[in-house]
Amino acid sequence: MKTNLIQRWPLICALFLVLQSPAWAHAFLDHSDPTVGSTVTNSPREVKIWFTQELEPAFSSVQVQEAQGKEVDKKDVHLDEKNKSLLIVSLPKLVPGTYTVNWHVVSVDTHRMQGHFEFTIK
Amino acid sequence: MKFTALKNGGDWLAISGAVFTAIGLGTSAAQAHGFVGDRFFPPTIQTDDPFAVDELAFPTVTAFQNPGETDVSFSFSKEIFPKFALAFFETYVNLAPEGMPSVGGFDNLSLNAKYQLLENVPHEAIFSVGLDWDVGGTGAKKIGADSANLFTPTIYFGKGFGDLPDALKYARPFALTGTVGEELPTRADPNNLDWGFALEYNLPYLQSQVKDIGLPEPFKHMIPVVEFAFSTPENRGGGPTSGTINPGILYENNYFQIGAEAIIPANSDSGSQVGAVFQIQIYIDDIWPKLFGHPVFGE
Repeated sequence: MKTNLIQRWPLICALFLVLQSPAWAHAFLDHSDPTVGSTVTNSPREVKIWFTQELEPAFSSVQVQEAQGKEVDKKDVHLDEKNKSLLIVSLPKLVPGTYTVNWHVVSVDTHRMQGHFEFTIK
Repeated sequence: MKFTALKNGGDWLAISGAVFTAIGLGTSAAQAHGFVGDRFFPPTIQTDDPFAVDELAFPTVTAFQNPGETDVSFSFSKEIFPKFALAFFETYVNLAPEGMPSVGGFDNLSLNAKYQLLENVPHEAIFSVGLDWDVGGTGAKKIGADSANLFTPTIYFGKGFGDLPDALKYARPFALTGTVGEELPTRADPNNLDWGFALEYNLPYLQSQVKDIGLPEPFKHMIPVVEFAFSTPENRGGGPTSGTINPGILYENNYFQIGAEAIIPANSDSGSQVGAVFQIQIYIDDIWPKLFGHPVFGE
């Protein structure tokens, strides 16, 4: 009996940790508007990025840059009030061209993630 | 800790549990697993990835039909200092030769130390060095576990192709990882050069960095991969190069990765039987972010 308990102890321990720990994870980009790599006909009013996890607003940012690297967004990055995994930044009316969206986020469990994608206005 | 004491499953499980619990005592900020900049490199099955991070793979089940063999493996890696990790790997081997009674037992314990030497974020590149130690005499003789130690200094590399020009943007999800290790046996066995690489096409990378093509579940979380694992004897009549080609699929979830690959002999010197391998990689830094995802010492 004692031997069985000793042998099973790590499994019991692992199960205990699973039950005790809230499950969080890295915040991956799930989808966006404009969509990744898309071409749109009108200048979008904002860039919205949906992530797979809730974010820490103080450590999460989005920058939209034009082809020469100049930031063109309104620098008002914020989380959606009802959806803490949706990050939004407003845009002025943009001229046709290709724009790069750079994002850096920290999920609520402090995992850092980053990425970038492009969209084009015709 | 004397690893030579790990001669049966009970001792091994008890000690692994102690390690597991001891690691849980230290907590601080969490850091990502397997990333260089924007690039996520999934842990591969047949060739070790270049990251010195917290990883837990259990189980890894490898099966061959004729002659019958089923292996069940466990591996655990823990970042001790920033970019430096220690790992251990153990396999239970069950041999079932045709017409003979089956025999099973643990193979030799394998230990690994790895250090991430270089990272280049813009070029999604990483280079690491490490040392494998197959601890002789820790496995069961009845399944052929070697009594001699085997040391294998190894280099590891990874390269994502996110830096390709726009004209090749659909090739950006490709990534290559690989290892080259020199086996140094402690007795008069052949020295072998172990080398292998994994070529993958990262569909999540395609969706989130290059072009959202509207892939549905479960495909948007899949990474097709082909792994190549070879061994080239260098002396003492070791024979020609042998190895396997392993095409498969990795499926990514927030908390785990499921992988399955075929094991196909690369040439006639590699045998004739096709096998298969299945693995669950548990992202312990996501499930227990306070316990894992950061070094024990330092930030």
